Amino acid sequence: MAANSWPEQTKLINTRIPRLDGIAKASGKAKYPSDERPDGMLFGVVLYSLHPHARIKSLDTTVAEKMAGVKAIEVIAGPGKIVRYHGDDIAIVAAETEEQARDAVRAIKVEYEILPHAATELQAMAANAPEVVKGGNVRKGRAQITGKPDDAFAKADGMIEAAYSVPVVTHVCLETHGLTARWDDKNHITAWASTQAVTATANELAESNEIPVSNVTVLTEVMGGGFGSKFGADIWGTSAARLSKKVNGRPVKIFLDRIQEHLAGGNRPSASAKIKLAGTKDGKITAMVAQTHGTGGVARGAQFPLPYVYSIANFSREHSDVFVNGGNARAMRAPGHPEGCIIMESAIDDLAAKLGLDPVEIRKANLAPADFRTKIYLDEIAIGAELIGWKQNFKPRGTQKGIMRRGLGLALHQWGGGGANDKQVSCTISSDSTIELKSATQDIGTGIRTVLAIIAAEVFGLKPTDIKSNIGNSTFPPGQSSGGSTTTPSMSPPCYNACLEARDELFKKIAPSLPGSPSATDLSLADGQLLIKGQPAMSFKDACRKIGMNSISTLGKSSPGLASNGVGGVQFVDVTVDTETGVVKLNKIVAVQDSGLIIDKLTWESQVLGGVIGGLNYGMFEERIVDPTSGRMLNPDMELYQLAGASDIPEIIVHAYEPADQKKRGVIGIGEPPTIGTAAAIGNAVSNAIGVRVTHWPMTPMNVLNALAQEGKA
Amino acid sequence: MRDNASSLNSSNRRDFLRGSGVAAATAVLTQTAQVGMDEASAEALAAQDVAVQSGSMKITLQVNGQSMTSEVEPRSTLLDVLRHRLDVTGPKRVCDRSSCGACTILINGQSVYSCTTLAVAAQGKEIRTLESFDTGPKSVAHAFHQNDGLMCGYCTPGFVTACQALLEKNPNPTLEEVKKGLDGNICRCGTYVGVIQAALDAAKAIKV
Repeated sequence: MAANSWPEQTKLINTRIPRLDGIAKASGKAKYPSDERPDGMLFGVVLYSLHPHARIKSLDTTVAEKMAGVKAIEVIAGPGKIVRYHGDDIAIVAAETEEQARDAVRAIKVEYEILPHAATELQAMAANAPEVVKGGNVRKGRAQITGKPDDAFAKADGMIEAAYSVPVVTHVCLETHGLTARWDDKNHITAWASTQAVTATANELAESNEIPVSNVTVLTEVMGGGFGSKFGADIWGTSAARLSKKVNGRPVKIFLDRIQEHLAGGNRPSASAKIKLAGTKDGKITAMVAQTHGTGGVARGAQFPLPYVYSIANFSREHSDVFVNGGNARAMRAPGHPEGCIIMESAIDDLAAKLGLDPVEIRKANLAPADFRTKIYLDEIAIGAELIGWKQNFKPRGTQKGIMRRGLGLALHQWGGGGANDKQVSCTISSDSTIELKSATQDIGTGIRTVLAIIAAEVFGLKPTDIKSNIGNSTFPPGQSSGGSTTTPSMSPPCYNACLEARDELFKKIAPSLPGSPSATDLSLADGQLLIKGQPAMSFKDACRKIGMNSISTLGKSSPGLASNGVGGVQFVDVTVDTETGVVKLNKIVAVQDSGLIIDKLTWESQVLGGVIGGLNYGMFEERIVDPTSGRMLNPDMELYQLAGASDIPEIIVHAYEPADQKKRGVIGIGEPPTIGTAAAIGNAVSNAIGVRVTHWPMTPMNVLNALAQEGKA
Repeated sequence: MRDNASSLNSSNRRDFLRGSGVAAATAVLTQTAQVGMDEASAEALAAQDVAVQSGSMKITLQVNGQSMTSEVEPRSTLLDVLRHRLDVTGPKRVCDRSSCGACTILINGQSVYSCTTLAVAAQGKEIRTLESFDTGPKSVAHAFHQNDGLMCGYCTPGFVTACQALLEKNPNPTLEEVKKGLDGNICRCGTYVGVIQAALDAAKAIKV
């Protein structure tokens, strides 16, 4: 019978357990999709546009086709087609070596008719701007209005009017987008794909090649990062399969180069807001008016939640998506939330400064009374304030005069993170005592492989390393795509049920052959032993021998009560700013995070730390820089596109908020929440230190000095 | 930044320049702080009569104690030869231009970015990749595993190798020395806290 709660007492669940594939990864022996070299593999290299907007007048592959090693060419944008951004795909060459494929790409002759471009938001929003898409570059969403904001502004004790913005950033997956595809025979494809969704990738390959999805096997044993940008085969994957077909099934490998990865592999949209916020002198926010916009390149997707976290009775908001000649946005870790958090948390902080209120107190005063998260937030704020030393160290904005100024800031965030209830996990017990789990989910680094093994080991009284936790194969029982913090809450319940059912079946099957013919309900498992009425009777291995020839196999489904959704979380940041150079030094970050029942505290903590460091990058370093004149991205690399290194990491304190009532909620995902608030909290800490708002992210010396100069204080 | 090209500054750099063509050589050497000097010497060589090779050639590399032979082009990077021709796929290709360290290997004991080292320049040298490192209870790999100093794991080979190189040179690193020793590597999942602790733990374990 399916379970509706997790066990009260656990030996493994909620402890710190190293991930199963840790040594394989740390020894270089784990084979990533980009490491696979099936026999006869060809290398595919993509020709992409250097122009932000152009019509292909002609495309000549005749020279390229005859070059040494070249086996096939796939044209994506032929004559008459329009390329819409720097990095847009034109053609792909498959050759014996990568060097040969690159040479051939260079030998493809393309004549372009250069079209006027709008590669930045400023260009796209200008009067008479060239149209990126038909129907205009600025798409207004429906205005939201709640209450009577105008009346509320008239009655407010104080208000702020401000503008904040944060640029487009890219995912920078270390393993670039791509896959290696092979036609096994006339009707079957195998693909080794770097994906967050083996199932969706299989579907896409099947559909684009017109074969049944049951004839496609997508394999993702491990993969090198996705962050929301790898939910399908993409044009590169489907092209690899088409090219493989052209060369009689020889495998074709296409993984993007680093430049195109930045340009076309997805990005988080920008966000800009003009915002007014009004409140009473005791800190109750009474009204908000906001006009916001952002760009997702040639796609929509720049919407973000606002108001965010806080309850505001009267507000109006208009949002526009701005199209530019840039690579299209894709979901990126907590889509929309980091942007909404930056805008909301900046405004509330500035209002607190205007009203002379403590930033902690104004936040507490504006939580939604009826929201279950409010109590959680209040607890978390108290814990975080203590850990950062708020009482001792906080000084109101503008009270510091030295060159080096220290500041504190905070931000609240929230996320859903619930699971799907239609996923399955199979559990097979063999007579040699092998326990194998299978599901078509995949591990993008979050540790789901290990989480499933921990659950199984808990049920069978074994060690997680005793469990074969097999995922990353699209032909396994339906598993969850790794996105939106949904993997663990989707996969843990069916895994638990599969294991419970397999265990019960084992008991039923072997009970009659045990000494004293106990009933199945007399049996239990612990520490690698079978127990009869609580007394160790034989090893688990010996018990499994009694299964006989046929293994036990179950298919676990989800059941209510094991997973939940909806988390809060708060982060505090302590910085020192050099007001002469604009350099921000992070002293300390505190992350207090709830997420229901934590299965593996070690990998959970890694996720929170990783989220914080992702947010640190967003707050301090990251920016896609586009040259307005050429319309090209200027920093599609890993030096001018800056990311934190070891020396940039401050002390980070992670506090798991998990009183008993949290554990009772069941499993909730943790991938997104901890990355949301960090950049906002950093901005608030910097503004607290220097006495003025830095209105544009990230907190680079240039943006900090600009803010100081604007206020006439530099 | 770590000194990644120092292994190239040995006695046969002149031979290497002859064999591989000045343009390619310049590309390799520009990764270090010695850019100016190397460009000047490359220009001097260009003025001389330098043979430029093209096409492909057979070379033998000493990788993890084994002799491995492969057909390569003069421009083929050591990383690409290891990964694409010799099936040594531990080192990863990420930035492909000496920024991120995922391709880090050891050449004659020195940590090197293999994505900007030419394969032909590595002939006759001792190449070690992390596949050859100890993975036992006193190893760097073990410390990464225990501290969860990895998530997706794609940067991990580079960090493990950089850590190994650091500890071989400095068995007692301070926290600051560990950070500096790993500053040539970038992780996107954000595993630095575990990585740094792993380096400190490995240093202790190896001494015991």
